[in-house]
Amino acid sequence: MTASPLASTPATTEQRGQEVHPRDDHSPRGRVGFVGLVGLLGAALFVVVVLSLATGAVRISPATIFAALFRHHPLSVTQQIIVLQIRLPRVLASAVVGAALAISGLMFQGLFRNPMADPYVIGSSGGAVLGASIGIFFFSQLSIFGFSATALLAFIGSVATMAVVYSLSRSNGRTHVITLLLAGFAVSTMLGYSSYFFELFDSSGGTGNRILISWLHGVISTPSWTQLSVTTVLLLSAVVIALPLMRQLNTLALGDEYAHQLGLRVEYTRVGIILTGSLLTAVAVSLGGLISFAGLIVPHISRLLLGPDHVRLLPVTALAGAIFLVLADTLARSVFAPTEIPVGILMAFLGGPFFLYLLRKTKRSYAL
Amino acid sequence: MNPLMRFRDVSFGYGGDDIIQSISFDLHEKSCTALIGPNGVGKTTLLRLAAGILQCNTGSVFLNEHPLHDLALKTVARTVAFVPQQLDIPFQFTVRQVVEQGRTPYLGLLRGPVREDRMAVDRALELTDLTRLQHRVFNEMSGGERQRVKIALGLAQQPKLLLLDEPTQNLDIGRQVELLDLLHLLKAEGITIFASIHDLQLIEGNFSTVLLLSPNASLMSGSPEEILQPTILEKAFNCPPRRHPLLLERALLHNERAR
Repeated sequence: MTASPLASTPATTEQRGQEVHPRDDHSPRGRVGFVGLVGLLGAALFVVVVLSLATGAVRISPATIFAALFRHHPLSVTQQIIVLQIRLPRVLASAVVGAALAISGLMFQGLFRNPMADPYVIGSSGGAVLGASIGIFFFSQLSIFGFSATALLAFIGSVATMAVVYSLSRSNGRTHVITLLLAGFAVSTMLGYSSYFFELFDSSGGTGNRILISWLHGVISTPSWTQLSVTTVLLLSAVVIALPLMRQLNTLALGDEYAHQLGLRVEYTRVGIILTGSLLTAVAVSLGGLISFAGLIVPHISRLLLGPDHVRLLPVTALAGAIFLVLADTLARSVFAPTEIPVGILMAFLGGPFFLYLLRKTKRSYAL
Repeated sequence: MNPLMRFRDVSFGYGGDDIIQSISFDLHEKSCTALIGPNGVGKTTLLRLAAGILQCNTGSVFLNEHPLHDLALKTVARTVAFVPQQLDIPFQFTVRQVVEQGRTPYLGLLRGPVREDRMAVDRALELTDLTRLQHRVFNEMSGGERQRVKIALGLAQQPKLLLLDEPTQNLDIGRQVELLDLLHLLKAEGITIFASIHDLQLIEGNFSTVLLLSPNASLMSGSPEEILQPTILEKAFNCPPRRHPLLLERALLHNERAR
């Protein structure tokens, strides 16, 4: 081949000057150190949990709780009962729910390559509620590890819904975002209302109905210790399973076909994400029912702080989700004390506007 | 020397009629081949067959004498990189984070990136002159910069064969020259290049071989001088004689040479 005149004049960086922005040398994203952020969030979670334990109808100052924890100033018997038996399980449950919702939101957003996906929006939690209602109304006697069959059915419901929504939104190997959101909306609305049918078959004299309604509104109940430890173990195992999947989510951002060409087994990744995300949704639903926005907002804020790398986002999103929901649930049970408002409803009222504000502020990044 | 990639009687169609009909050609190591042909003739399809994304209906594609469909995708991806026309990335991934994904064929479920992977990414960024832009957000970059990021992503795979789908499309003339400089640089690095090209005037001096894919005709292969002749091009592209400035210019040049 003849030598090209082009080859002898390689463009220097100076010649490319017009394309260079002044802020090139520092990163516009992820300025917050990763390890620092995780440490900070861990400490914040601890503080928030203590504050939440101190909040309620009976005033116990946070200082008293800190003193009991670190300076061996034991609490009175009444205080012990209130803090350890009534408040602690609920506070821990809200932390587990928050972390589970936030991680599953992160996973679904990564899988669908869309910041709008969360277990509530795409129908996963609707499916979990349907499964759970079947459990409440027909298998209320069955129990495994202190769990009713409800939790298992919630998981199955969640997986099945995801499989339906996902297959509806795919054609020719591509996921259509609009179809996905519409299918998710249709399925979750359908499922949301279908649970009212169970009222007709209610033979438990209203108990089932009460549980169902509190689930549909998103009330975090005070769980038994067995229930709490099983959900915590499930949450932690889901995080362990999720960790290797997170790097694959980064690759999946290039698109299914590109990821496939790079040797990623896209189908396995997808099934892994759907199963893990549904497990997390079921964990959240079994403790707190339908809670909107947590799975949407928390990954979103974490991404603003840390950039879109899913590997780093996983621990940060989990901690941030826990903090977020502990705070929200504390508000929900203390703002109108002694009456409680369901945290799901509080989230809809506070989370909605906050999310709209974020959307407005960062609309530039939503070129779909 | 055996060719790096061989197409033997390859036919392919997306369900209906075959778009690609019984095509055979070789890509020799360290060659730089341009793939030309009219719109819709199957240039992208041919590149996707070469990348192993699509599998041919009949015939075979061989990579280093191994049938492509017998090789694991990861193995193929360590030798062949495909740079697509379009790359849409959700979220605010930085250039470096995008290029790092090129290491996927070297990573396992539990094997994360190590020093070697970081060095390959650094090298890919350096070759494409993106080192200073590595922390910029991909979605906020210009078309020319994105094209370089896509190539860097391919280079992070440390391929022997780089497949490019219309790399000069939508680039201004300055960025086109930049891109061709980059191709020369990659050729000097020993990378075999196979690119589909629409801008026929960019071929001479930059590509050693031209493959002309035309509808209802067999594949033509030859040097740029042999293939880029007005009569051949007018027929293949179904272009009225002496209407396109490029062809007119070529015809004049041809006559001059004949004299």
